[in-house]
Amino acid sequence: MAEEKFEPKVVAFVCNWCTYTGADLAGTSRLKQEPNARLIRVPCTGRIDPVFVIKAFESGADGVLISGCHPGDCHYNTGNFHARRRWTFFKELLNFVGIDSTRLHFSWVSASEGKKWVDVVNGVIDTVREQGPFLKYKEIKEHDFQEIEN
Amino acid sequence: MKEFIINTDEIANLISSLPADKWDILAPAKDGKSFDYVLSSDKPIINSEAPPSKISFKEYFFPKSETLFYYKREANEISLTEPKFAEKKLLVLAAKPCDAASLPILSKVFNWDYKDEFFNKRVNNSVIIGLSCAYSDESCFCTSVGLDRNNTKGSDIFLTPFNDKQYVLSVVSDKGDSFVKEFLPNLTEFTGTKETKEFIDNKPFDYKKTKDWIAANFENKIWAETGEVCIGCAQCAFVCPTCHCFDIVDENCDLNCGRRIKNWDACQFGVFTKHASGHNPRNSQEKRYRQRVSHKFDYYYEKFGEVLCTGCGRCTRGCPAGIDIGEIVFSISNQ
Amino acid sequence: MPDLIEIAKGLLESKEVSFIIGYTKDRFGRVKPYIAKSVEDANNLMFDHHSIHNLAVYLTRLKIPENGRVGIVAKSCDIKAIIALIQENQIKREQVYIIGMNCSGVVTHSTDEWKKENIQIKCKYCADKAPMLYDAVAGTAEPFEQPDDTQEVLMQKLETMSSAERWDFWAKEFEKCIKCYACRQVCPMCYCEQCLAEKNQPQWITTSPTPAGNFSWNIIKAFHMAGRCVGCHECERACPMGIPLTLLTRKMGMVAGKEFNYRHGMAIDQPTLVGSYNFNDNEDFIK
Repeated sequence: MAEEKFEPKVVAFVCNWCTYTGADLAGTSRLKQEPNARLIRVPCTGRIDPVFVIKAFESGADGVLISGCHPGDCHYNTGNFHARRRWTFFKELLNFVGIDSTRLHFSWVSASEGKKWVDVVNGVIDTVREQGPFLKYKEIKEHDFQEIEN
Repeated sequence: MKEFIINTDEIANLISSLPADKWDILAPAKDGKSFDYVLSSDKPIINSEAPPSKISFKEYFFPKSETLFYYKREANEISLTEPKFAEKKLLVLAAKPCDAASLPILSKVFNWDYKDEFFNKRVNNSVIIGLSCAYSDESCFCTSVGLDRNNTKGSDIFLTPFNDKQYVLSVVSDKGDSFVKEFLPNLTEFTGTKETKEFIDNKPFDYKKTKDWIAANFENKIWAETGEVCIGCAQCAFVCPTCHCFDIVDENCDLNCGRRIKNWDACQFGVFTKHASGHNPRNSQEKRYRQRVSHKFDYYYEKFGEVLCTGCGRCTRGCPAGIDIGEIVFSISNQ
Repeated sequence: MPDLIEIAKGLLESKEVSFIIGYTKDRFGRVKPYIAKSVEDANNLMFDHHSIHNLAVYLTRLKIPENGRVGIVAKSCDIKAIIALIQENQIKREQVYIIGMNCSGVVTHSTDEWKKENIQIKCKYCADKAPMLYDAVAGTAEPFEQPDDTQEVLMQKLETMSSAERWDFWAKEFEKCIKCYACRQVCPMCYCEQCLAEKNQPQWITTSPTPAGNFSWNIIKAFHMAGRCVGCHECERACPMGIPLTLLTRKMGMVAGKEFNYRHGMAIDQPTLVGSYNFNDNEDFIK
């Protein structure tokens, strides 16, 4: 793998009501953002099961971004409050099993924060690019398919 | 049966002289408190008094996860690739008689209608050196299922301690014979008599009687009594040398490729018999536990003329709910 | 103080409970879980330092008759699990008759002697050896020498490692996993009717006991214990492969303590940690 050409794959799980709309605003406002993030729209940050994040890493993500409404703004009132508690545990757990915290990012981006979305997503992509490819999880996944002919 | 005398140095020499590119060596080693079979062990423990390893060696013949084939889709073509099969030979050193005996038992089911080529290749590529066993605890019951501490079933070569440093090496099979000729050509023939300690058997049961009882007692309170305590994990099946159920699933690596894979499965899981419709014929732990005992002591005996158990006692030693299969069969047999 | 068998007999005779989940000894004197259904059965009940099993697991595995009540023999650590199940609305307080046992620490195997080296680490942190929630109390607690917390040393070592080293540590441990799910089945807090690991549309957790499948299973199992684990250490005891699973649950417990000053299974009317929230929860890590 040519190191100098490394382009990170970042999976962003974003809530439908705030961050997704914020990202949409960034687009319609013609704000420039790096194209490395794959957005996955979910109804609410409360819907983001940590198993999604595991699956993303397993499928080759170099970094994951989770983003939703600011506290108090949740379309379902409390989804993001519950999510926030879960993430507190989840980030510590991932760190504990050896997944660097530079791989998993969280943010609150509202529907009006197109500019913030661009800053956050570019920031995440730059951090992950600097870290290089996340090989650990890829290796264990590839272990199962090492014999497949290319 | 040809018998030779072999000392511990000769065993150590044998291990170091086997070419590493052609042979893997599996032998018991001590990991902290417990024993386990370890691949390419530098310091194998040849100790007939050692307790059985926490998990049997069946995974070297019937792996916990085994790829059947890989698939790949390109345009409208689907191509299949066979997994590479390591043609390496395996020497199992100091196998417990209750472990060695599991291979002929497993061979029956893996060659009954469809011949499992992976299993057969692995067995053919292996040489089992059994070791007489001097261990016994409350969970052991090999004598009840027709085995004993000096039983050579499944072994190609069998070691019996003679004195501190020497073993009597008995050649059991043709495979064992050619192995001895090739790698141990200079052994002295043994002509004396082996001292065999009597086995204190504190819990004999009659497996033929057990079979008849199980066949006649599909509905019995004994199943409920055990089933309500059983928590439904597969510890017993996965540490067992003879349990052989597996699940076949497909896993994808990306949208266009994947593999079909065979993983260990166990009848104690609720999902084991769950149909796609949602119906589950074995919908309680009572029925699942009955299945486990019936398969081991009734159905397998009916079909293959022997019980699906070597009495190693691992399932009992490790059961988180303290269920003793020996006690159940014992109480059945003594009714 | 009335003894366990007397209490049990009284309960079964008066039909106050349909059955009692307790311990008995098998023909070799090994302690195992036992369901006593009659006054005669009650004679078989016992409790000693080999009564390691957390019987609270049976409260969700067995059918508790509607509007009925069952008895359970429980030591302090098991009572935490019972309280947790009540907190999580899995059982009602009035459905269980808790026979709390004064406990003198437990050892893992039937052959293990009752001495410092064999006593479970969890017993060191059992602040209240006397039952905290009960309908009756039995047994006498004897003083015992506290075990050394060998796990704490490992825990600190892990915390000082780099994340790559930690990954390698866990890769080696998870490699042993055979997916027997004993850790899940023995856990009183794992009561889901359908486990995430059994869902295959989509298949979130690979069923194969390969490195990838083992990582996702063990991470998710540990995560589901976040703010819920009561620290009974049953998962680690049940694991046939000797994976130090309680390191993970302990880590989750440490986060719950540090971030939220919370311990699960302490009071039946306390809201659960992950089932509730506070507007002012820490969010330093969120951009």
